Amino acid sequence: MDSFSSLIASEQRLFPLLDQRKQLGSQNVGEASFSSLIDDAELIYLYDGSLEGMLSAVFAAFQRHENPEDIVTSHALQESLLSSYVPVQTEEPLAARVRNGILEKLGDSAYEDVKKVFLSDAPHKGGVIFRYLHYAFTAGRWSFTHLAEPAVADFLEIRRQVESEAHHMLMFVRFAQLSNGMFYAHIEPKASVVPLITDHFAQRLNVQPFIIYDSVHNLASVFDTERWWLVSADEINAAEHSRAEDDFQSLWQTFYDTIAIEERRNPTCQRNFMPKRFWGNMCEHIPPELRKQKPTTKTPTHAARLQAAGQKLLEEPA
Amino acid sequence: MHWTTEHLFVYTIQNICLKGRGVELLDKLTILADAAKYDVACTSCGVTRTAVKGQLGNTMNAGICHSFSADGRCITLLKVLYSNVCSYNCAYCINRRSNEVPRTTFSPRELAELVIGFYRRNYIEGLFLSSAVLKNPDYTTERMCEALQLLRQTYGFRGYIHAKAVPGTSQDLLVRLGVLADRVSLNIELPSEESLRLLAPEKSKENTLGPMAFVRDGIKANYQDKQLSTVKRTRFVPAGQSTQMIVGATPESDFQILKLSASLYRTMELRRVFFSAYIPVNTDPLLPAGVETPLLREHRLYQADWLMRFYEFNVDEIISEEDPFLDPLVDPKCNWALKHIDQFPAEINKVPYEMLLRIPGIGVRGAKRIVMARRHRSIRFEDLKRLNIALKRAKYFITCNGSYAQGVIFDPTSIYAQLAGETKQKRAKGVLDGQLQLLDS
Repeated sequence: MDSFSSLIASEQRLFPLLDQRKQLGSQNVGEASFSSLIDDAELIYLYDGSLEGMLSAVFAAFQRHENPEDIVTSHALQESLLSSYVPVQTEEPLAARVRNGILEKLGDSAYEDVKKVFLSDAPHKGGVIFRYLHYAFTAGRWSFTHLAEPAVADFLEIRRQVESEAHHMLMFVRFAQLSNGMFYAHIEPKASVVPLITDHFAQRLNVQPFIIYDSVHNLASVFDTERWWLVSADEINAAEHSRAEDDFQSLWQTFYDTIAIEERRNPTCQRNFMPKRFWGNMCEHIPPELRKQKPTTKTPTHAARLQAAGQKLLEEPA
Repeated sequence: MHWTTEHLFVYTIQNICLKGRGVELLDKLTILADAAKYDVACTSCGVTRTAVKGQLGNTMNAGICHSFSADGRCITLLKVLYSNVCSYNCAYCINRRSNEVPRTTFSPRELAELVIGFYRRNYIEGLFLSSAVLKNPDYTTERMCEALQLLRQTYGFRGYIHAKAVPGTSQDLLVRLGVLADRVSLNIELPSEESLRLLAPEKSKENTLGPMAFVRDGIKANYQDKQLSTVKRTRFVPAGQSTQMIVGATPESDFQILKLSASLYRTMELRRVFFSAYIPVNTDPLLPAGVETPLLREHRLYQADWLMRFYEFNVDEIISEEDPFLDPLVDPKCNWALKHIDQFPAEINKVPYEMLLRIPGIGVRGAKRIVMARRHRSIRFEDLKRLNIALKRAKYFITCNGSYAQGVIFDPTSIYAQLAGETKQKRAKGVLDGQLQLLDS
């Protein structure tokens, strides 16, 4: 019922707009539209790297009726001779107009999606956001369901990557307790996901103050057991580990090693689920020779094997 | 900017400190984790419990894995036995009475501190607590309840807890356990009554299924109570029941195993039935000598299980008495499709959702995406890639706007040969990766 009514709603919205577009197209036949096409293909907007800057660039493109190939940050620029670069000023009121436009025309979740895609490290994310908005402002509120449209598919693919990286962090973040009682986690994610994951930990671990520091994007979130905020930091010097910390790391390492079944060893499967790039910040992957404590006892499996081998040795001569 | 944590906060340490008991606990953990590692279930899903200020932990409906051990299995819970001092003598079990293995038991406090310490560091979603049978089932369950009570009430832990109930536990204790834990499971252990009598003489069908039915009724009553009342009620086993059985230690066929699990889903309303390919840990005249059950058999059983739970397949569509083992070369869904080739090719733009689900290579998510995308416009082959749908298997069984994928010959024999060839290739490559067990089948 719900899906059916949404279908009708999207079509009602779609048709008048399509008609308008046809009329515009017929007016523009001729050399003017042709030359603007060539210009557009080479056009690249530059912005300052902020979300407001990105939205200002989107505003500029709509205002100037231009179709920039990409929107990139000015400091990460590798200039190409075939492109013409146009810097766009960041203007908060213009960015706010685009934001309000998204919220009104496409809904709250669309704006959340734009923010998520913006957190990505993908170099072409600016162009992808622009093309999605360009499509969605015409096609309407339901354009996120048009999965076969390239503009939508590219946008959702980057959103998927960001969400999956955030989920990886929920899995693989490892806190260490420092001597001052603070819990500290160091991460190196592929997207700037600290803003997406801190809520989860602030709820779950609300009894302890913590810092999650992303050294790739130089961003940290700090939680004081009441609220959390973001801090941009080039470096964090963590205090040394608390006394209990080393004990717990040893216990966890021991558990991690013991729980694996030797007969079923499968490193490929392990790395598929837990790629090696995360291992550096996970204490269970500290190699055995660098570990502080190890168990002294034999495991039951080990003992049973010895027993079985012993029985066999006794049986064989007889 | 140059931050040190000292600048930001100085907190007094009020946290758990192991006070030199580290090494002793390290040995206990080694023994009791090793003794629990053959338990299969390690899921933390199926229940949402929101966080509360001042208490540690919450649970997420989807569950979160936290690590993957060297065998590729996910680690989401601290999976340990409460004790491995066992009074039973089940032939297949590492902890049976007659094995000369190191034995130990946690104290409730040690266990609680381990869980809390691990949880605070984001190592785990919670606790999976099982136990050997200390004295008798009731005594064991009482000890487990004490430990869980300390964790829940004294430490205020709100994370996930999965508790194993020992067959034959009394109803009072099951109620106590079910209120403390999110999931309770009773192990069927083996797929038939005769096998159970032979290999686990102290356990029986009645004292497993009896408590299972009791927990099922408890969950139902608790749910209805919750629906009717406006005040907050204590939840009883909110994440439902599961069970597990060992595959390959006894001669039951895949047909018998799947029939049994289908009837367990139906009559006991279980959330999951886990299979565990048999690994010999003991030498016993009753057990198949030194033969490991290939992991591939377990894998095929799980694929069939998924078809029943998420793809609306009936068990009789997957397997029949005349052909009682699943094909190791081709997955059960492909197998069904090849046997019902008259229903194919399926036109991606026309067939209903239920039929999309039955196309090999298309999953629940893929089917939903297709339904969503084709409302807007018709789908072509190149669009399927944008929808993140793998064509490897699907391409043989579908058309887009009436035409087949490039190079596909729609003939069941040649499709079977292609798909079986791919499995063989994968297995040959698996040997290089050290997955020797896949070859044994």
